[in-house]
Amino acid sequence: MLRRILLFPPVWISLIVVVAASTLPLYVSGYILGLLTIAYYFGVFSMAWDLLFGFANEVNFGPTFLIGLGAYTAGILDNLYQPPIFVCVAAGAFAAVTGGVALALPALRMRGPYFGLMTLVAVLMLQNFVVVAAELTGGEIGLTVPDVISIDDKVNYWIALGFMTFSGAVLYGLSRSPVGLILQASGQDAVQAGALGFNLTKHKLAAFIVSAFFSGLAGALMVFYLGAASVGTFIDVTVGVQVIIGAVIGGRRTILGAAIGAVFLIAMGEALRPLGDLATFIVSGMALFVVLAFPGGLLGMVKGAREAT
Amino acid sequence: MTRNKRVTLRAAGMLGASSIAAALAAGSFAWAQDQGPIKIGVIAEAQAVGSSIPLAAQLAADEINANGGVDGRKIEIVSYDNHSSSAESVRAFQRLVNEDHVDVVMASYITEVVLALEPWSARLKTVLVTPAAASDAVTANIAKDYERNKYTFQGYVISSALSQLVCDAAKDMLVDGLKMKTAVIMSEDAAWTTPLDAGYAECLPKIGLNVLDHIRFSPDTTDFTPIFNRIEGERPDVIITGLSHVGLQPTVQWKSQQVPIPMFGVSGQANNSTFWKDTNGAADGVLYQAVSGPDVAVTPKTLPFVEAFQKRFGNALSWCGYTAYDDVYVIADAIHRAGSTDSDKLVAALEKTDYVGTIGRIQFLPQGDPHVHGLKTGAGFITGLLLQWQNGKQINLWPPDLAKGKLTFPPFVKIGAAGN
Amino acid sequence: MLFWQILIAGFAISSLYALGATGFTLIFGVTGVLNLSHGAIMVAAAVAAWAASESLGVGSYLGAVFGILTGLLLSLATYFLVVGRLQKSRKIREEEKEIFILTATLLWGIMIQEAIAYLYTNNAKTVAPIVEGVVSILGVRTPANEVFTAVVCWLSIGALWYFVNGTRAGKAVLAASMNPRGVTLLGIELSSVYFAAWAIYGVLAGIAGVLLGMFFGVSSYSAGPLTASAFSIVVLGGLGSVYGTLIAAYVVGYLETLTAYLVSPAYRTIPALLLLVVVMYVRPRGLLGRR
Repeated sequence: MLRRILLFPPVWISLIVVVAASTLPLYVSGYILGLLTIAYYFGVFSMAWDLLFGFANEVNFGPTFLIGLGAYTAGILDNLYQPPIFVCVAAGAFAAVTGGVALALPALRMRGPYFGLMTLVAVLMLQNFVVVAAELTGGEIGLTVPDVISIDDKVNYWIALGFMTFSGAVLYGLSRSPVGLILQASGQDAVQAGALGFNLTKHKLAAFIVSAFFSGLAGALMVFYLGAASVGTFIDVTVGVQVIIGAVIGGRRTILGAAIGAVFLIAMGEALRPLGDLATFIVSGMALFVVLAFPGGLLGMVKGAREAT
Repeated sequence: MTRNKRVTLRAAGMLGASSIAAALAAGSFAWAQDQGPIKIGVIAEAQAVGSSIPLAAQLAADEINANGGVDGRKIEIVSYDNHSSSAESVRAFQRLVNEDHVDVVMASYITEVVLALEPWSARLKTVLVTPAAASDAVTANIAKDYERNKYTFQGYVISSALSQLVCDAAKDMLVDGLKMKTAVIMSEDAAWTTPLDAGYAECLPKIGLNVLDHIRFSPDTTDFTPIFNRIEGERPDVIITGLSHVGLQPTVQWKSQQVPIPMFGVSGQANNSTFWKDTNGAADGVLYQAVSGPDVAVTPKTLPFVEAFQKRFGNALSWCGYTAYDDVYVIADAIHRAGSTDSDKLVAALEKTDYVGTIGRIQFLPQGDPHVHGLKTGAGFITGLLLQWQNGKQINLWPPDLAKGKLTFPPFVKIGAAGN
Repeated sequence: MLFWQILIAGFAISSLYALGATGFTLIFGVTGVLNLSHGAIMVAAAVAAWAASESLGVGSYLGAVFGILTGLLLSLATYFLVVGRLQKSRKIREEEKEIFILTATLLWGIMIQEAIAYLYTNNAKTVAPIVEGVVSILGVRTPANEVFTAVVCWLSIGALWYFVNGTRAGKAVLAASMNPRGVTLLGIELSSVYFAAWAIYGVLAGIAGVLLGMFFGVSSYSAGPLTASAFSIVVLGGLGSVYGTLIAAYVVGYLETLTAYLVSPAYRTIPALLLLVVVMYVRPRGLLGRR
């Protein structure tokens, strides 16, 4: 059984990539490590989103609601009481799950665009709350936390890489498991899946919870990497868009594609940084192009090529 | 000011600047020759008011380099746009120190950004100078833990000092001059205004202005009508302001609504030379505090700097530019005196700074002072000015020896018996 | 006195919300598209008006016309370059098209926003007002500009109503929003109906953007909140229902104004958002929603 898993192409390819990536700190500059650290956290955001979208076929327009809840809860807790970091991080993940459930229960009852709208509204509410309760949250410009996990680039990089690998493994495993197949079926044809006796709402809620857990956890960890949190980094709709675009251009429903897409986006954004504001314009333009011309995403292109030969 | 006097002052200013530059160049070459350029990182908001920071820094660097650099070493400016975000600023700071290997970082006018960078300055043991952030919190953190936070220096007047400077001007101009008795404080809800408003609340009654109300609004407010209506209902003689992130919209709406009460205080954007145009003339009559103003020779260096900046970059000079320019010279001077770019030696050298810049005489408060590493303010050091927009021009009205005009107001403002 | 102040201030801002949201709901009703670049188009129109009257030196009238034209052009570009292509694409399954369109319009909106920031900085700008000075209404000193805004909004909405109910082309548009297939059976090209819808939308968004620029001022940062505000109103009123949108716009406008005056300007957006949450829980269709 283990042998079969290991021989499955996406698995051993991913393993090779991860091993290669973990050697980077030996010869790559601190700046690139820092960039990749952020990219890996975004990879987790996108993978968590893909689980929900790809498999429950629910477009979550507010992944940053969950991410923001995780990040800010962890950050505010640290600011107020300075408990050990892992307590803050756990609190962040818990807050994200709670928020996720509170959002999912009414949202999953709706169909079509309403689900997406509800998620977007959730983001707005969180954003408004953060801005209005500025004393607690640092408002629009941001929150500083007194502790960071480490100031060493290499350590931070390995933590992020390890976390992404772990999350990826869990999320990918879920997507291939019986639960994942049910979700996929319900996504393709809800009526038939329902007719076959599967309780869709329960399974979708489970997907939501898993997605929320990883989003919140990643958000909290990222706060303790940056030492700061702000609306612009964790909550703003544009961040959510980056998460979604990462998953879409990587190839939806592949989980692994989401990580690739996210890393690609962040790397592109940073590489174009010298261009200033034009950088966001170009990256959005590129993403738009991929969406219009290659709906299957990067991984979809690869798969398509392999199937064609 | 007569033309001769201005020419003389300008000559004196250039002489002063070039003699400092020459002194720097003439310093010992022992350690300087083969060590490559001195790198100063700049993190600022490329849009907004902060855009002057990297430009002014570059101007200063080029001037110093043209005069031989610092002990033979040239200054190189490496600058990043932080999009007004603390998190991006942190990333930029990490990049500057770890990848670009800068010796010193200058950052921002936004207090929240500087507060996010302060711990990183401590963690990475790199000198951080902010040319324009105002909150007392920055220096309070240094006082709380000097050994850790000593690498941060605040190159701008802190909020509590700003409020005192506003009160000083208000006493002369409003209380003595116009017999005003009441005021309402109107500020944006941001970190730098918390000590500012506290300062106002304390010093305004002391000069004879009774504070009727204290309004703090969110920095992303776009509709100021309810705020102005509320203030009007209370009928104060003046609105004392604390504005920086906003400026255009409240000013435009103040005029459009014809609020009969004048605005006086800190309004960061009002200092921009493009403010008149941006507000389509609504700025007429707005009174604002600044450490610098056009055509005001606070020191012999002020006007030559303004001329050089405008010649090279056009009209984008905001208040942060003056201090950014001065700070590059201050940093260069400290590196020269320390004979090194080692952070601890730099800190010691910076603490001994005594430099006449464009805004006044710059000295940093010493260890032991509650505002350690802040600027020394008051007569003989930095006093600030009080200017008013009149007919498209920024006219300085205070202190009296630097005043260039008289107080006037647009027709809809009613002085004395304020209100409808 | 306070009562009249609230009544008048609330009216102007609600009218502006109504105009912006009406365009948004029109597009959804007719073409099924939730255009998330809505706010960006409005901001672009305002900035174009500002740039024209500032840099090119044309007066405020011409500047406004220029702004409205920009709104129209951008709207059509959105249709031809982005939405239309996705709608006709064969590589995407029908059920997924909505999601792709949402994502694409969101990206497109960001592109417009960033282009504005790049070309003109993200500092706030006020469009030179066409009308200046103050008038006294029921004892309340009101900027004449506010009155002008409310009047223009209602004239535009009225013109739209006339178009939809009174002209043949308009009736086709209305019919398409109810039954697209039925319209094609009548021999009317759906693509020309869509074209008309996007064109009208562009003009409405352009007018709303220019008025907003004159009244409050805009910056490239305003784009997101504007889109958010428009679709909150549209969801409250019921997706696709113009009457619902109008009512909801006034509800939201007055809620915000009341909060700003009676509670604090800092909390002005909260009650409307809470209302939205309640409505989503209790009656997701909105007030008068159909789809």
